[in-house]
Amino acid sequence: MDSSNNLVDKQVVRSWLLWGFFWAVFAPFIGIILSLKFNYPTFLSNEYLHFGRLRPVHVNGVILGVFSAIFLGLVYYMVPKLAGIRMYKEEWSKYAVWLWNGTLIASFLSLLLGFNKGLEVAEFPNPLPLGLAGALFLIAYQVFMTIARRKEEKIYVSLWYIISALIWTGMNLLYGNLVLPYTAPGINNVALHGLYLHYVVGLWITPAGLAVIYFFLPASARNPLYSHRLSLIGFWSLAFFYPFVGIHHYLYSPVPNWTQTIAIVSSMMLIIPVWTVVANFFGTLKGNWNKFQTDFTVKLMIFGAAMYFIGSTQGSFEALRSVQQPTHFTDFVIAHSHATVFGGYVIWVLAACYYVWPRVADGSFSVTTAAWSTWMIMGGISAMIFILIIQGLIQGTELMAGSEFVDSIVTMKPYWFIRTFTGITMDVGIALVGINLYVTSRGLPGVKA
Amino acid sequence: MKRARTIALIAGFGFFFLALAVQGIFPYLMKEARVKTVTRTVRTSLGELTEIRADAVPYSELLEKGRGVYIREGCWYCHSQYLRPVAGEDRRWGPVSEFGEYAYDLPHLVGTRRIGPDLTRVGGKYGDDWHAAHYFDPRAIVPDSTMPKFTWFFKKEKVDGKRILSEDGKAVVAFVQNMGMNKGKWRDAFPYQIVQAGSASIETTASLEHGKAVYERRCAGCHGDKGDGQGPAPLAVLFEIAQPRDFTSGVFKFRTTPTGSVPLDSDIYRTITTGIRGTAMPPWFNLPEDDRWDVIHFIKTFSPDFKQFPPEPPIMIPRLPKPTPELIANGRKVFEEMKCWECHGNEGKGDGPKSDTLEDDFGNRIPPANFTLGIFKSGPRPEDIFRTFMTGLSGTPMPSFSDSFTSPDDGWALTFFVLSLSADAR
Repeated sequence: MDSSNNLVDKQVVRSWLLWGFFWAVFAPFIGIILSLKFNYPTFLSNEYLHFGRLRPVHVNGVILGVFSAIFLGLVYYMVPKLAGIRMYKEEWSKYAVWLWNGTLIASFLSLLLGFNKGLEVAEFPNPLPLGLAGALFLIAYQVFMTIARRKEEKIYVSLWYIISALIWTGMNLLYGNLVLPYTAPGINNVALHGLYLHYVVGLWITPAGLAVIYFFLPASARNPLYSHRLSLIGFWSLAFFYPFVGIHHYLYSPVPNWTQTIAIVSSMMLIIPVWTVVANFFGTLKGNWNKFQTDFTVKLMIFGAAMYFIGSTQGSFEALRSVQQPTHFTDFVIAHSHATVFGGYVIWVLAACYYVWPRVADGSFSVTTAAWSTWMIMGGISAMIFILIIQGLIQGTELMAGSEFVDSIVTMKPYWFIRTFTGITMDVGIALVGINLYVTSRGLPGVKA
Repeated sequence: MKRARTIALIAGFGFFFLALAVQGIFPYLMKEARVKTVTRTVRTSLGELTEIRADAVPYSELLEKGRGVYIREGCWYCHSQYLRPVAGEDRRWGPVSEFGEYAYDLPHLVGTRRIGPDLTRVGGKYGDDWHAAHYFDPRAIVPDSTMPKFTWFFKKEKVDGKRILSEDGKAVVAFVQNMGMNKGKWRDAFPYQIVQAGSASIETTASLEHGKAVYERRCAGCHGDKGDGQGPAPLAVLFEIAQPRDFTSGVFKFRTTPTGSVPLDSDIYRTITTGIRGTAMPPWFNLPEDDRWDVIHFIKTFSPDFKQFPPEPPIMIPRLPKPTPELIANGRKVFEEMKCWECHGNEGKGDGPKSDTLEDDFGNRIPPANFTLGIFKSGPRPEDIFRTFMTGLSGTPMPSFSDSFTSPDDGWALTFFVLSLSADAR
């Protein structure tokens, strides 16, 4: 692949990744502040920075900032390589960078000022989300035109995921921001929002994250993909089942029972794509496991795959009614979201940065810092999901046993306190990835923050 | 090219819209998705509670404003708004959520996380004073709370040295108080909040110690460390409806004992369990029974009266009759003869000729009850109203009528007449 290195527009990849590194410091830091507020409710709490206004900044910052900015940068690296030609209309690329990240900054400021649409993960006030959708459509157009003119006949599985993710999410952003807040009040709104909510994780983060690991794991392990058949099964079962699961956020609610049941069945069926892709990743290292010790990309990706496996399997079982009785509304669910989004996808895209950044910025990185960062990420997220699962089960069963509500909050406080430390550990690790890579390339001509 | 297009069409568009159709659009098009009616608990013209199917009520301008504030401040990230039929939620918070209740919610606010309690049924659980004080400083009332302070819900200018709500603050209180109101007077029929008769509990050193701990966590915010009703909450925020009880006075409103006597333990237990509707005193039916009994022993240490003058024997509450139109008519006659209207007004709206001048023994203004609101401080059951006639409300201008009734029937007639004044219009 190195022979085709001149296919990539390095400048635009660097811009996206630098934005990603910035968000990777920013959004997790907001998470630390939020977690401190559980134990110290008056900490940094005023009209603009209290929990209710900061929480959407953290959630959207991680999904649309950290993960998406890095992923979109990687798209500009992967697509030309897989298509065998340079990106279509390269001169347009920089507009998408500024449109996406500028919209995010404007949106976060709006949230702090109290402009919130009231729908989880669709909080940004209109018309700002159109900026995000616009950037995605621009990128999608470039990607499709590039693929249409490709030199390689076969379409590698990463491209399938990229194609689908861009289509799904372009549509989903329009649906969630332009349709959802204005149509179908009441419980119908709940059901439609449940779908939107899970399209964001299932039809954006998941396919995008999988595209990244399908590309960079074989590339950095210098092994071919274990099985193309497994990747087919993984892709089509994900594409078929994932759109149906959204309503599992609202089990036992007045949402029609049969739609809840469909969501539960689909959620369990998601074990198929999750286990097949994870098996595929582990298989890819077959005979080459020493790379797991020596290569940071491989190490983090395999660790991320393990987290993805744990978090997603937990998610499937979490959708069962009996499991939801104690666990819904508790930190058990927060464990699932952190295990998958942070433990899986964010770690995958960060891992890819160790591969891509030296190639687009002609730098290297400090191995010592990278080792520290890796251990902090792995230790932090493992401890965090462990404690969140435990505390979720404790609070859930305590409430089921009839405890007074505030008493269950008192039970939670020591766990929340520990959670903050796991978060700090993980977040420092994440921040170090970007800082490490950026510092080594400082002073290079053409590298701008 | 062929395969790229296949992926885009089938996976990208096909499955997305298939799922959206099956899970979102088809259910939305079904007849069941048009339901706007709710099972509502109402009071009949005979003063009894019954359930009807009624239309959900759209939000007024004030409520929409309050809802806007609630969305703006992100209250819904920590407070869910749906009750499941599992995990004891219908016991902890109230009846399970219904489809029609949400008919006018756009965007919906049902939520996915409970860092604080669910708010589906919070309307009427606490008084407006409680909400105001709680927004100003949650930990003044609930020391273990993790909620932020919402001090910007208050005006800069103080009244009597205390803070009062701004327009935004009033709107959000109105919105929160409206939650669950599509279910009507469900709380009046909520079995867990009703205490029929008390058992008893014996005062020991251990129970006093435990009671003190309970008091400090649950009561001291309003009633104060010294039990004098001067807690941090009423000192910081103006309580407009009623002041917290001064336990050092030994005067208690809601008793089965005669005027002038201290209450029985079971009387205090009933008040703690059911709360005092409309005031800052919430119902504590979710507390373990031991907590409730032990805190009573501790509260009694604030006044020497409990030791010096043991409670007199309680009144008997006879079996209640089945209300009839004749009984109600008789009740109106009693209402006029006993001059209830002097304070409570001819229509029971609390606007009688004397209503402007009334004060309680502590020198606080005390408006007579407006019966048409259906908010009864002493409790919503006929027995509660009857008890109030028989024992009066000590420390207030409301006397006992036990000597004035010719027979218990007069008392029951008046009881059901008073209840019928809050009959819901059909």
